[in-house]
Amino acid sequence: MSDRQARLLTWVLRAGLIAAIVGQVAWSFRPSVGRAQTDEEALGRRLYQSGCITCHGVDGRGTELGPSLEDVGTASVDFYLSTGRMPLANPGDQADRRPPVYTDPQIAAIVAYLRPLVAGGPEIPEVDIAGADLSRGALIFLDNCAACHGAGAGGDSIGGGQIAPAVGGASPQQIVEAIRIGPGLMPRWGETTIEPADADAVAAYLVWLRDNADEGGLQLGRVGAVAEGLVAMVVGIGLILLVIRLTKAQP
Amino acid sequence: MIVRRVVTGVDERLDTTSFIRRNLRKVFPDHWSFMLGEVALYAFVLLVLTGIFLTFFFVASPEPVVYDGPYEALRGVEVSAAYDSVMRISFEVQAGLVMRQTHHWAALVFMGATIVHMFRVFFTGAFRRPRELSWMLGVLLFFTGIGAGFTGYSLPDDLLSGTGLRIIYSAVVGVPFVGPWAAFLFFGGEFPAPDLLSRIYILHVLLIPLAILGLLGGHLTLVWLQTHTQFRAPGRTEDTVTGTPVWPKFAVKATGLAFVTWAVCALLGGVAQINPVWLYGPFVPYSAPSPAQPDYYVGWLEGLLRIWPAWEFTIFGVTIASTFIPGAVVPGIVTGVLLLWPFIEAWATGDRAWHHFAQRPREAPVRTGIGAGGITFFTILMLAGSNDVLAYFLHIEVDGFNQLLRWSLPIAPVVVGLVTYRIVRDLHERDPQPIRRPQRSRVRRTATGGYEAEHEEMPTSRRAP
Amino acid sequence: MNRPERPVAIALVASIVGALGLFVVYAMGGQPQLEGALLFVALGGLGVALMLWARGLMRSIADETQGRHGPASPSDVESATAAVEEGVDEIRRRRFLSRLLLAAAGALGLAALFPVRSLGGSPGDELATTAWRSGSRLTTIDGNPVSVEDLELESFVTVFPEDAIGSSDAQAVLIRVDPQLLELNDEQLAATVDGYLAYSKLCTHAGCPLGLYLAATHELRCPCHQSTFDVLDGGVPVYGPAARPLPQLPIEVGDDGFLRATGDFTDPVGPSFWNMPS
Repeated sequence: MSDRQARLLTWVLRAGLIAAIVGQVAWSFRPSVGRAQTDEEALGRRLYQSGCITCHGVDGRGTELGPSLEDVGTASVDFYLSTGRMPLANPGDQADRRPPVYTDPQIAAIVAYLRPLVAGGPEIPEVDIAGADLSRGALIFLDNCAACHGAGAGGDSIGGGQIAPAVGGASPQQIVEAIRIGPGLMPRWGETTIEPADADAVAAYLVWLRDNADEGGLQLGRVGAVAEGLVAMVVGIGLILLVIRLTKAQP
Repeated sequence: MIVRRVVTGVDERLDTTSFIRRNLRKVFPDHWSFMLGEVALYAFVLLVLTGIFLTFFFVASPEPVVYDGPYEALRGVEVSAAYDSVMRISFEVQAGLVMRQTHHWAALVFMGATIVHMFRVFFTGAFRRPRELSWMLGVLLFFTGIGAGFTGYSLPDDLLSGTGLRIIYSAVVGVPFVGPWAAFLFFGGEFPAPDLLSRIYILHVLLIPLAILGLLGGHLTLVWLQTHTQFRAPGRTEDTVTGTPVWPKFAVKATGLAFVTWAVCALLGGVAQINPVWLYGPFVPYSAPSPAQPDYYVGWLEGLLRIWPAWEFTIFGVTIASTFIPGAVVPGIVTGVLLLWPFIEAWATGDRAWHHFAQRPREAPVRTGIGAGGITFFTILMLAGSNDVLAYFLHIEVDGFNQLLRWSLPIAPVVVGLVTYRIVRDLHERDPQPIRRPQRSRVRRTATGGYEAEHEEMPTSRRAP
Repeated sequence: MNRPERPVAIALVASIVGALGLFVVYAMGGQPQLEGALLFVALGGLGVALMLWARGLMRSIADETQGRHGPASPSDVESATAAVEEGVDEIRRRRFLSRLLLAAAGALGLAALFPVRSLGGSPGDELATTAWRSGSRLTTIDGNPVSVEDLELESFVTVFPEDAIGSSDAQAVLIRVDPQLLELNDEQLAATVDGYLAYSKLCTHAGCPLGLYLAATHELRCPCHQSTFDVLDGGVPVYGPAARPLPQLPIEVGDDGFLRATGDFTDPVGPSFWNMPS
């Protein structure tokens, strides 16, 4: 090898080594589950490692059993954990609402731990339903949500074995989180299409709906004509027939 | 005293003596199943009474107004004057909500009683000659009732009923050749046309009630003139009718049943919420709610539309819309078969004799089998119409359920019909006698110390020894 | 009062109490559930009382047997038919005039149908066209035009032409998907913008607005009869009774960054009709 070639080779090797080192360092700074810095994050990491890594992976980027959590947003983490949809016992199950496994401080810890990874998505919303415009919430709900969740927010099936659940038990924060992240089959609406005040209004309406709008009496599941028809035949005709039979002619 | 003076006053002027005497003494056979048609009649009376109250408040106008009433969640929202008036009836008029809900529940009870009455008449063969016309008037009453109900719950102009109107409009549009023209004619233009609401209103409060009154009048007059059918019993013949005289016993009993019917409708009207239009919101043409079902008596049509396969084809340039067969052809066939059933059966059995006896279902196994098959057919369609609600509550998959129903529709009625036919025929062979009274045994000690049992029919009066 | 009378009396007393209760409730402002329950007692008490009275207390009124009418005798039928025929024959006797009468009745009958014609106009091409024109901006129900940055992925919004907001037949649904998932042909693809797609919101089965968007499977579903359309594949029906794909609204981005249509829908919207242009 000539002197010139040797110097070229050395230069290339040095450049390559530097590039490799720089690359390694840069790679280690990519968004990922945080190295536990605070007690909360440490708790979060412990909880994550015991409850989530089987499906979501050590680095939160998913496995064959579960999706990546990159850029899903802190709203997503909070929603799934606080509604008990996660952790999911079997990866193939539909994530239904269940009693949450983690307490609120634990959920906050997991959120803190995962924040660097998930930060690209919707943040946990600040929801204030006091003073929200109830009728605006009602209209937005009817236009965007009633077709899946039912006009009375009582839930309905949407095909493929899936349901859009009744939303009566959800907290305002969970409602707005769902609007922003679109869990399961649900679409999602960002802050341009449904502004924060409007999302709060929807949550306010749904909370209001829980204890109102039943002036007519028994709400029969807010299902509509199916339940009404059943009641008319069984209770209505049934009662009348009962009276006819009970007062029948004495032989 | 007063009764005497009134009757004398009327009789003097109208010479009604023989009419009164004949008709007050007229007898009606007394069986509990003969009272079902009456229940429908009394429900109709209640519908008219509560309906009149509602017409004093309802505004049949699509003009937009801003809702400003006590229901917070819609305050400030632009709604039609019709919707606004129904909200007013529900939340501001005293006793308005009870009247409105009683009206709607009475409609459901009316249709339910009509259906159960129709079953009774069918399975007892009471439609046979000379009562074919009564039967046809009854079938027309059923379909007019569907029209009354549909137009009625479309009046509040809410999101759910407006969607239902659009479905009917689409079904009419899909009829070949005349569809679009007929749809524009009846609906006043492309949906939703501004004239639609006032047309539905006039149909619901004037034209359809007049039709029902006319059909009812004919139906009841025929029953009166032709006398009611009765079941066989010892001592009864085809040429006589045995029963309770109209005055006073039958009239008192019937009045009692009227009040009982009204009582049940009013109970439901106050205690059970029905058609809460405030939850659905005002009709807008760019939204639809769910669950989206019509009232249950239209459920079989809804089921047809849901499970009918997606068959749409073009023949010689004419597109046959996917709604045409399930929405027009099949209902047309059903209506035709129902309407003409007495003649179909007479042609099939060759039986053109007059019949005044009501049959037990087992006496006509073929008809009972066919009837059972028919009921199965409608039940499957009703299940199909509520498929999403059933899927939600029973945790089953809608799509698979639909497939099951789709296959059941041609098969299950045949299977059920055949099984019913066999069972009923066996029952008939084993027990051909008319309905008997309960049996009892007397056990006696004989002179030699043994026991002896005697079976006999129980006497008519409990007080007999 | 003897024993059989007692139930009737109780029922009537209950009825009176119920009616009085109704007065009180109404005077105090009314309450639907109480009104319903009290009506039940008031009406039901009276009803049950009457039924028990008729069936229990009127036992002395025995059943009677009466004759029924049989078929009318042939001679009666004949004389009735003859009476009617006599009148008809009197008119028919004058052949020429009775034919003219028929013609007049027929003509008048046809003329009487014309007011019916006023009930609604001829459809024309209304079923095949909507208010979308080339250049119409996609506008939400609140009146805001939609710009290319507005929608998140997997989001959807209902849009109208800016001069026909709220229009029934022009309603469209704008969806944003990952463009790499699209399975459209070239023509359909050209009608989209960077993953933004617009379809008619009217179901091609019975015309209900397609309110359900199942984002994860990219399907639009109808709440009425569950027709489901594949958004990624040109709105093709994949389930349910709809047989016709959803008409697509061709869109582009205007210079102002707002989305606008390049023409009307590719096919007639809503339910099919017999002379649909294909």
